[in-house]
Amino acid sequence: MSLVGLVECKTRNVDSIKRAVREAFRLIDYSLPKVEKIVIKPNMCYYWDWSTGQTTDPLFVAALISLFREEISPDVKISIVESDASAMKCKYAFKYLGYEKLAKNCNVDLVNLSIVEAEKAAVRVADEFFEFMIPKIIREADLCVNVPKMKYMSFTKISAALKNIYGCNPYPKKFEYHSKLDKVIVALNKVMPFDLHVLDGLTVCGSKISRLGLVMASQDPVAIDAVAAKIMGVNPKSVAHLVLAEKEGLGKTSFVIKGVDIDFFRKRFPKRSLSERVIMLGYRVACKLGLDKRLV
Amino acid sequence: MEKINLGVIGLGFIGKVHLRNCLNLKSVRVVAAADSSKKALNYARNFGVKQLFTDYNELLKLKDLDAIIIALPTHLHAECAIKAMEEGKHVFLEKPIARNVEEGQKIVSASKKNCVKFMVGYPLRFVPEFVNLKSQMESGILGDIQLAYGVNIAAGPFFHRAESTIPRPVPEWWLNKELTGGGVLVDLGCHMINLLRWYFGEVTDVKARLGYRFNFDFEDYATCIMDFEFGASAVVNVGWFSQSTAVGIELFGTMSHAKAYFSPSSKVVTAIKLIIGRTPKFFIPYLKEISHFVDYIRDDDGENRLLGEDALRDLEVIAKAYKNQVK
Repeated sequence: MSLVGLVECKTRNVDSIKRAVREAFRLIDYSLPKVEKIVIKPNMCYYWDWSTGQTTDPLFVAALISLFREEISPDVKISIVESDASAMKCKYAFKYLGYEKLAKNCNVDLVNLSIVEAEKAAVRVADEFFEFMIPKIIREADLCVNVPKMKYMSFTKISAALKNIYGCNPYPKKFEYHSKLDKVIVALNKVMPFDLHVLDGLTVCGSKISRLGLVMASQDPVAIDAVAAKIMGVNPKSVAHLVLAEKEGLGKTSFVIKGVDIDFFRKRFPKRSLSERVIMLGYRVACKLGLDKRLV
Repeated sequence: MEKINLGVIGLGFIGKVHLRNCLNLKSVRVVAAADSSKKALNYARNFGVKQLFTDYNELLKLKDLDAIIIALPTHLHAECAIKAMEEGKHVFLEKPIARNVEEGQKIVSASKKNCVKFMVGYPLRFVPEFVNLKSQMESGILGDIQLAYGVNIAAGPFFHRAESTIPRPVPEWWLNKELTGGGVLVDLGCHMINLLRWYFGEVTDVKARLGYRFNFDFEDYATCIMDFEFGASAVVNVGWFSQSTAVGIELFGTMSHAKAYFSPSSKVVTAIKLIIGRTPKFFIPYLKEISHFVDYIRDDDGENRLLGEDALRDLEVIAKAYKNQVK
């Protein structure tokens, strides 16, 4: 069983977040290795800033950078990475979401994975082979840190650590993968395994936006996602990409919680109501029937 | 009565709204559509539009077209509208009339020179709540209006599709000040300025404070303070920063106060109505403005509530607001 550290962070500032992350690392017995190159992958799914609960708070990333510089070395090279997506371009997202300011203030690089050097890699998931371009910067990093959000998704039920790595695929037309999303998520995690997952649950988007104040860390992306699912009121065993990821050896859906009790956050998370779930189901059905083409 | 033959140029979000609405108007026949995107043209094809063009110049050459709806990016307004007018077509142009006053003037001149009818789309002028508020004001029940408050806050280009949960791509021209002519003050400010000028007459003085939450070189929120020729003063807040929409006017008179807000139906209701081919509430003001345009074309002495000059005045006020910035 994998360790997952849960810490409450009541205040949204760099010092408080840094304290909470440090505590989360202590709870899962994780010590930062002495490395030279670090890659941080926040969640920047669209042009919605941290206050919507949809994208990683740049202040959260600033706290991580500060912690890495304190614990590893002031000179450690840090790159924040993201790739272009069907509805989002990095050059605008970096600016819009506050990452350009962060990069300037913290002296880190912003890297659009869709335009950097990459090498082809093949991977098998279940009975299917996939080929992706793997950005060199990820392959050559000494430490890859995943900083996801936790949210509901219409096609995958939840999005957290595993789904965030989907954004490391440099290919911009990601909607083309939607028919086999679960396998693609697992495949990308297999070819680009991240070392550490630190979930930004300070502001979350469930049925509504809420200041949950959660900082969660684990070295196991499956375990941290299973905890995120439970907090969101979703059975981890009902999330296809989680089950598949476990089968493929990416981690375990069984976990040991360290720190704050899971119920503390589970009670506070703004879960979807039955009617909202029915609406999402209806939307998925409408998409499958091609009725979404009638929308504007 | 004979139907008006219409062409729609530009099938982005608003272009599609106009297309759907026109298909529901008995007085109109949608003859053709143009867009640089083949996917957008497929949308029109699925609704039975026969003549489709990736180059709008081809569409303008069609002899049987009476009028054109232009829903292109702002930087293409002047070129396309003037070409259409030179081809003798009546023009309905999406707001803002143009990127700047100079371009707007050229469009207005071309409409006069070519003797075609020209209207700029301001759907809020057709929202019953705002029409009723004006009637209330004019009835005198509120006394003399001294202060007004206008608000138009939305997500701007960064919004979910009106009816779904999937993010929509933001066309890059939205993020280029050279192509849009400005930020939210142009995009949403023109709606509110137009509405308040309709209520209170011309603006005699305007000041603006601009905000940049999202770090672009154009404003994503703004506050305007305006004085009007009939003595009222107004504060207008506009913003592109919220996933929740607020569009409203509040009037404060010597006898009483009144307010009107426009709230479209929920995304789910909108989606269901679109799928089953009904008109969602959000579409209705757009439907009414096109209907008004068609009536204006048909009737030689018809009233046009939204003349090109009117839209030009809005742009002049915005230009003055950019000039008179309060830090």
